[in-house]
Amino acid sequence: MTLWMLVLPLLGAAAAAFAPGRLAVVGAVASAVATFATSAFLAGSGALSVAWLPALGIDVTLDPFGVRSVLVTTAALTMVPVVLTAARRPVDERRRYLTALLLMHTTLNGVFLATDLVLMYVFWEATLLPSLFLLGTFGGRGRRGAVTKYLVYAITGSFLMLASILAIVPLSGAASYAFADLLPAARALDPVVQTWLFAGFAAAFAVKLPLFPLHAWLIDFHRENPASGVADVAGTLYKVGGFGFFAWAIPLLPDGAAAFQPILLPLAAATALWGGLAATRQEDLKSMLAYMSLSHMGVVALGVFSLTPLGGSGAMFLLAAQMLSTGALFLIAGMLHERTGGFDFARYGGLAKGAPALAAVTLFALFAAIGVPGLSNFPGEFLALAGGFAASPWLGGVAALGSVVAAGVYGVNTYQRLYQGPPGERRADLRASEVLVVAPLIAGILWLGLAPAPQLERIDASAQIATTAAVDPTAVPPHAADAAEGPERSPASTALAAKGGER
Amino acid sequence: MIVPPDGLVLGGIAPALTLLVAAATALILGTVRADARQGGAVALLGLAAAAVFAVRNLVDPGAHGATFGVQWVVDGASAGLAVAILVGTFLAVLLSWDAPVARVGDRPEFHPLLLLAATGGIAMVHAGDFVVLLLGLEILSLSVYALSAWRTGVREGEEAGMKYFLLGAFASAILIYGVALTYGATGAFDFASIGAALAAGAPGPLALLGGAFVLVGLGFKVSFAPFHQWAPDVYTGAPTPVTAFMSVVVKVAAFGALLRVASEAWPATVPSLDLMLAILVALTLVVGNLGALLQSGAKRMLGYSAVAHAGYLGLAVLAAGQGLASPTTVVWYLLAYTFMNLGAFAVTHLVMHDDPQGDRIEAWQGLGARKPGLAIAMTLFLFSLAGFPPLAGFFGKALAVRAAFDAGWSSLAVLALLAAVVAVVYYTRFVFAMWFARAPRAIEVAPSDAARWAVGLAAAGTVAMGLFPDVWYALVEGAGAALALVP
Repeated sequence: MTLWMLVLPLLGAAAAAFAPGRLAVVGAVASAVATFATSAFLAGSGALSVAWLPALGIDVTLDPFGVRSVLVTTAALTMVPVVLTAARRPVDERRRYLTALLLMHTTLNGVFLATDLVLMYVFWEATLLPSLFLLGTFGGRGRRGAVTKYLVYAITGSFLMLASILAIVPLSGAASYAFADLLPAARALDPVVQTWLFAGFAAAFAVKLPLFPLHAWLIDFHRENPASGVADVAGTLYKVGGFGFFAWAIPLLPDGAAAFQPILLPLAAATALWGGLAATRQEDLKSMLAYMSLSHMGVVALGVFSLTPLGGSGAMFLLAAQMLSTGALFLIAGMLHERTGGFDFARYGGLAKGAPALAAVTLFALFAAIGVPGLSNFPGEFLALAGGFAASPWLGGVAALGSVVAAGVYGVNTYQRLYQGPPGERRADLRASEVLVVAPLIAGILWLGLAPAPQLERIDASAQIATTAAVDPTAVPPHAADAAEGPERSPASTALAAKGGER
Repeated sequence: MIVPPDGLVLGGIAPALTLLVAAATALILGTVRADARQGGAVALLGLAAAAVFAVRNLVDPGAHGATFGVQWVVDGASAGLAVAILVGTFLAVLLSWDAPVARVGDRPEFHPLLLLAATGGIAMVHAGDFVVLLLGLEILSLSVYALSAWRTGVREGEEAGMKYFLLGAFASAILIYGVALTYGATGAFDFASIGAALAAGAPGPLALLGGAFVLVGLGFKVSFAPFHQWAPDVYTGAPTPVTAFMSVVVKVAAFGALLRVASEAWPATVPSLDLMLAILVALTLVVGNLGALLQSGAKRMLGYSAVAHAGYLGLAVLAAGQGLASPTTVVWYLLAYTFMNLGAFAVTHLVMHDDPQGDRIEAWQGLGARKPGLAIAMTLFLFSLAGFPPLAGFFGKALAVRAAFDAGWSSLAVLALLAAVVAVVYYTRFVFAMWFARAPRAIEVAPSDAARWAVGLAAAGTVAMGLFPDVWYALVEGAGAALALVP
């Protein structure tokens, strides 16, 4: 089952690249749907391990344990509408779009599933290339600059991470690069060494989060990406920096994480605040969405750097949830662009009269994005902020200001400027093909919002590892099977239930 | 020392002998009928036969050991490097199959010279003492001097040949001087005895000076900074198939020799020689990568990139020479480098299509739309050179940096990866030009199916080594890469 997560999208990419005519589209869409369908059964399926370069302890190991399966499933669900949207591109572009997207899906699943550190790096780096290709080939006028900026930011970070990855085995004496081997060995490292190694990981993960002030690439990336929103959503899925911290850097190097927390936690709060405030000031839809996404990432970072199980679980839940909500908004932005030919708010206003269904869908996605309870982002945002408050009430407050207060402002403002006011030119409402695009996302938003507990329990299993004290090397996580045994409710879902009760 | 006949293992020198026979055959046939295809065919056959012997030396433990006294060492490292040299030469012959340089009817020496150069390279990687090393080096160098000046009447071509010859001769002289000083200090030519003599007591200034001169002489051949200036000029001036050949074969041979000298003749008790090597490596990483950033032509860029890669290889040699990392790293990297670098030059050769200015970045614009196959191959080669996974170059760099960490050269390892960020910028400039810019004019590429085969084989090698790194690694390591290296 685990391996299929790589094989299915790869087959789809091959079909998109080589199959004749419409068969390419059919193959691509079928592979996206099949990947999602298979991913639904991912939790609890077995790990896979194949020797790759055994002399150096590098293996191909994939394990859908805990948070990994949640992220894979949500990303696979988001990918279905993305592929459907890309399939509607003109014939000459379609093939390249679909191939790049599905290749990216393959490697992204690899990032989530790999439990060998070098393998994770391989997928991490390989995911960059299709994303660059989409931006460089189909992007706007400033795409060359945006591509170079994106590349230099990403590569500088990831090569520093590679240094840490390659060094961690010789320094710690671990038997291999497998997570289970690294965990006890790396935790036993001297705190100073851990801090240096953590710095290398942080360079890559903070750029990819992105964390203020390393976020400049993100805004250009979204501004210059093609209008349809397809590449933006793919880029949103690829914002896996928080996952990297949560699944690798923090569990392996707890002392390094503790040493960096006083720097990273304020930066996280600043990211949430800056993103939220800047989003209220944007004059075009795409830039607004870019800053909104930045603000979400600040909350994700806050939860992760709180170094509490609560915050970590919330952050990962939010990471999965924002794939759906931000993804829906970028795709809706693409639909709006198709109708008006631009993104600046000046072109819009009063669309609700002619396009009530589109307006409703947009409002729904905006509500999800700003964290309205009952929708996807709320549980994650709440828990991440709760973790942040636990770590530092001040910084938690700052982040909440950006992610809750400012979010209300930009959320409502955006809806107002797009859909309300004096009706302008009449625009077409949601078409049947577009319903097909937004339906899976709406379903996903409701799914995560209304029944977060099963996902949170899976995430908690990972969170326990991430935040177990360094002094307890026996707390090595065996496997999903053992973790699922615990009958008592996880702290995160208990906290959420308590919150629900208060309401 | 007189070697008893029963101590001769002919299998060990079979690859070199086969190439020698092929070179002589091609030369004699060339006097009868001047036809470049005939020379090329003989060369391909000879190379294939030699490769059979080399692979046999690699996989058959019975073939391992020192023969001709200790002057010719067969082990995982030497047999593996011989395979890399043969692969590189084979691809270079394919690349020059239809090239005008080889078609000049009255000059049938082209292929014999290629084969002789490869013979010299194979001698260098098998050398167990300085005499065989020097012999191999001169056979290799003299052939390559002639090849690099092949375009007579073209100013850059003659300049390239002249520059390479003068600087090369100078470097050889320094190397010989170093060998003489080492002999004066230790009384031996063979690496094992030199290593034992140096390890016995604190080495005097004579031995250190000798070691330093040897390092400089070999450093010139592997293009360590600051002895690298010839590389970009010669790479630009020589005909592209020759550049492709020398960029890989000379590098494999010289690094093979340096690996053996560093690990056997310089014992761990003499850290000053390792320190000198480390300084050269650091300088090479910085100069090579920054130099490449400033180039607008593909050949010059690849020339500096060759310098940069010498830095990564130097890192691996440094660690392996100290006995703290496996020499297999060096062997692995060099075969990977052979595929990706030769591939990059092969595509450049096709794109230049007789235009000496045809390698400028403008010439690459829009190649992705016009010639997607070639552009995909070039993208693979450049990404691999840049170290993107899962291509061969990634594992090359990762192995080299890991070796540096293993040996405790952490700051050098981090420097190597930071320099690699710069490398990504200059390689991707060409990738972006191919894919993200429109072609200013129709793109004509050289019509050579053989060269396309070379590109295809190199691309297959680059991808396969990245996806299945353990095949080559286990083969070399299993053959005991360190058999003769660690006494």
